[in-house]
Amino acid sequence: MNAIEMSNDGYLLLLHVNESWKELGREELEKYVAQNHEWLEHLMTSGKAKGGQALARSGAMVSGKNGRSITDGPFTESKEVVGGYLLLNVETFEEAVAIAKGCPTLAFGGKVEIRPLTNVCASETRLEELKWEEQLAPAAA
Amino acid sequence: MNAQLKNGYMLIFRGNEWHKGLSPEEMQNISDQWMAWFKRLMDEGKAIAGNPLEPKGKIVSGKSGHVVDGPFAESKEAVGGYFLLVVRDLDEAVTIARQCPGLPYGAKIEVRPVAGECPMAAEARAEGQPALATA
Repeated sequence: MNAIEMSNDGYLLLLHVNESWKELGREELEKYVAQNHEWLEHLMTSGKAKGGQALARSGAMVSGKNGRSITDGPFTESKEVVGGYLLLNVETFEEAVAIAKGCPTLAFGGKVEIRPLTNVCASETRLEELKWEEQLAPAAA
Repeated sequence: MNAQLKNGYMLIFRGNEWHKGLSPEEMQNISDQWMAWFKRLMDEGKAIAGNPLEPKGKIVSGKSGHVVDGPFAESKEAVGGYFLLVVRDLDEAVTIARQCPGLPYGAKIEVRPVAGECPMAAEARAEGQPALATA
């Protein structure tokens, strides 16, 4: 099992895809599939990506207390789903954006979401804000 | 650097409003539980990666790669973080997802198998276009 080198730096690309590729003719589809492979391959070998794969068109959605609600994937609700991910090893947002712009799925109605990795989740950040606000609040008379 | 993950499953944590309306103590508690959950999964070798995501981001779309800020954090669907699991099957991945401490507060987890091959190549083969299946 290959562990991905853990780090809190870098960017996650989420590739949001729809089904417009289904309307492509054979030649265009061949080209699209090849472009996607090339793009990913290039990023992996250059070291700019430390991981990345397509996600299968199946899965589950878990919600509710104790995860008691389990439904089939996100596909029943939406035509646009996360079709793949990439973990980028680059240092700046600009570089992550430049890489995202090269994603072949963009020409077929796809979108690329770029999110900085962190080690502090939003709730912890909010917690810090609240503690800070408490400190700044005037002491009760 | 990971090549093709076998038995890989991605947990996509959706909804980062779960901490709204909670007291600082409750938030700290859930946050601690979440970290402990992740650490345990890493120690057991069931998780190989995971991060929270900063609430800011960008979205690139269109042929010319138009860039806008987004998605915005205030959303039930916004992705707040991910785990990458390596486990036996989807059922095991779902069982793990059900342990998420954010669930009682509205967090949702999308569980997705990592594809062994490009899903489009697989579909093309199913539709009788074998040339693409070797991609």
